[in-house]
Amino acid sequence: MDQTLFIIGINHRSAAVGLRERLAFADEEIVAALGRLRDSSPAVLEAALISTCNRVEVVGVASDPALAADETLKFLAADRSVERAAFADVVYSSAGPDAARHLFRVGASLDSMVVGEPQILGQLKIAYAQASEAGTVGPILHRAFHKAFSVAKHVRKGTLIGHGAVSVSSAAVALAGQIFDTLKDKTVMLMGAGKMAELTARQLNALGIESLLITSRTFDHAVALARELGGTAVPFSNYKPHLKMVDVLIGSLASTKPVLGPEEFESVIRERRYRPMFLIDMGVPRNFDERLNALQNVYLYDIDDLGALVKRSLGDREREAEKAEQIVELELESFLKWLAGLDLTPTIKDIRYSVERLRDVEMGRHRGWLAQLEPAVRERVELLTHGLTNKLLHRILSGLKHRDNKTLDAAFAAEVARRLLGAELDAQVHDLDDADDDDDTGTD
Amino acid sequence: MPMNTLWLLPALACYALSAALFVFDRLSGRTQATGYAVAILGAGVVFHAFDLTARGLQAGNIPVANFAQALSFLAWLTALAGLMMIVRLRLAVIGAFVAPAVTLALGAASLTMSSGRVVLPASLRSVWLPIHVILAILGYTMFVLAASVSIAYLAYESRLKSKRAISPANEGGPSLEKLDRINYRLLGWGFIMLSLAIVSGAIWADARWGHFWSWEPIESWSLAIWVLYAGLLESRLTIGWRGRRAAALTLVVFSLLVGSFVGVNLIFPGKHGGNFG
Repeated sequence: MDQTLFIIGINHRSAAVGLRERLAFADEEIVAALGRLRDSSPAVLEAALISTCNRVEVVGVASDPALAADETLKFLAADRSVERAAFADVVYSSAGPDAARHLFRVGASLDSMVVGEPQILGQLKIAYAQASEAGTVGPILHRAFHKAFSVAKHVRKGTLIGHGAVSVSSAAVALAGQIFDTLKDKTVMLMGAGKMAELTARQLNALGIESLLITSRTFDHAVALARELGGTAVPFSNYKPHLKMVDVLIGSLASTKPVLGPEEFESVIRERRYRPMFLIDMGVPRNFDERLNALQNVYLYDIDDLGALVKRSLGDREREAEKAEQIVELELESFLKWLAGLDLTPTIKDIRYSVERLRDVEMGRHRGWLAQLEPAVRERVELLTHGLTNKLLHRILSGLKHRDNKTLDAAFAAEVARRLLGAELDAQVHDLDDADDDDDTGTD
Repeated sequence: MPMNTLWLLPALACYALSAALFVFDRLSGRTQATGYAVAILGAGVVFHAFDLTARGLQAGNIPVANFAQALSFLAWLTALAGLMMIVRLRLAVIGAFVAPAVTLALGAASLTMSSGRVVLPASLRSVWLPIHVILAILGYTMFVLAASVSIAYLAYESRLKSKRAISPANEGGPSLEKLDRINYRLLGWGFIMLSLAIVSGAIWADARWGHFWSWEPIESWSLAIWVLYAGLLESRLTIGWRGRRAAALTLVVFSLLVGSFVGVNLIFPGKHGGNFG
């Protein structure tokens, strides 16, 4: 039976994190786990294990994908000590073209929680390397993964799927990059203790800024965070004189009314000689009067403004994802063509076997006088016959493989081979050790 | 029918095509055509350089003998400097202003351009001619580019103020701070060039006619423009006027400059004989 790709697993859409974490594998477990999978599941011929926060999947090759999927499920249940009933309902599986499509979509970050996020490709590469190390990669998985990598590359290059900020804090950081040429000489002030505000300050700080000022109603909190981030804590009673030095001001104070209004701010920006100022208001209720945005070179974004940007770039990514899907389909087609080409392998083996058998038979018939020759001469005759059969084989096999412009399907090729070399094939007892397989038909 | 050298038309065609591609990319919010636009602008600069060289060799002087030639020279320098800024400072965004401006300037110049030997009046033949004229044209080039950067600034700024996201394709675009800084530098250099042009013109006038200043329209206008640019720089250095206000004022002064450039040269040609600067 033909070998085909199968995939089985759970992801962020099908299963809650509570279940995903129970089935997940730590990086260092995976090679050994693949060994156990191979040993326990005879139907699984090749396998790789993808385990990330958002998915646990086994990609494999089998002649009977349904059986292989079943064995894989059993393995997962036993190996992770999770009763099968707990996840049987949320497991998805597919085989053949659907499985290949799934793998390509995963690699292209089309199946990610945040479409277009870049980590998944790296995770897929690691999964492949681990499977290689475990020795569970064969020709089909090898080809499928490499195709998935190249699909991902095409999608990255050909679409804008990875563009745009997709979280509130990264939107704020991206905006800072549109206002300021560099953050190296900028001062960031964090006001308050909101989580998102702190995250934004951390991200800006990580990019390398001149200084980080932290003020909070609870001074101890400001001091602790300042110590952790290498910033300076400023007492809340005395933060206003610092404002003129601040380029990025992040507000998340708990306050019923704005803590900064346009009147007092006017003098601040005059003092800082109208150098641009980015105000990020993450407080609800808002910390900064919205009229501040009207001041010269002041850019005020509140939580909703940032949220709208995120929503927009998510929408952009969805649109780009449609283009990416088309790329996936195109590449899938070429992969399936290759896979169909692999189905020639039995035919190729047959042809090779029968031609070589012809040579052996002829050599046997002439054994008598060949034996009388000097060893050096006999070796030459051997070489000559080998050369002849190899040339002949090469002609036939490359003729078979380079059939792209004509649709010669595998079944037809097998039939032709049978008619031409039928007598030999009927006589053959297929020697499975003659496994000089031809898995180099694919092209990128 | 004005005659042109072999190279003028290809140069003009390149500028126009490049302008169309730059503008197309701006309008569509993408950057697909930008690479071609830059390359074609470069080709235009090369063709145009051949044209200027041919005219220069013909005249035995830098080809700035009349208004059209000077305008053509200004267009070339602007295209060249703009191209360098686009490539070196990664400012493709200014292409949508620079390329159309250059196209317009060279188009206008070629309509009035004469071929044959342009004879320079004897009164103007002097070593001061190239110095004075090149300084003036360099100054104007800086001001054109400052205006283009200011337009980009105002466009980006209004997006940021109104919280319209910048399209993903333009994520790599210049920041406001960068545009503002470049604007300031261009204004600074333009101002220095204009100052030197005025001084060199005065020295030349003193040597030729015995007086530094004759209150010709072009001279008065240049002085007015000089004062305005001085004020623009002064306001930044003292009050700190930068960003939006600086960009807007740059455009105001630039439009006055264009007005004086075109108006004075065409309507009141004095001893500058239809030559600006």
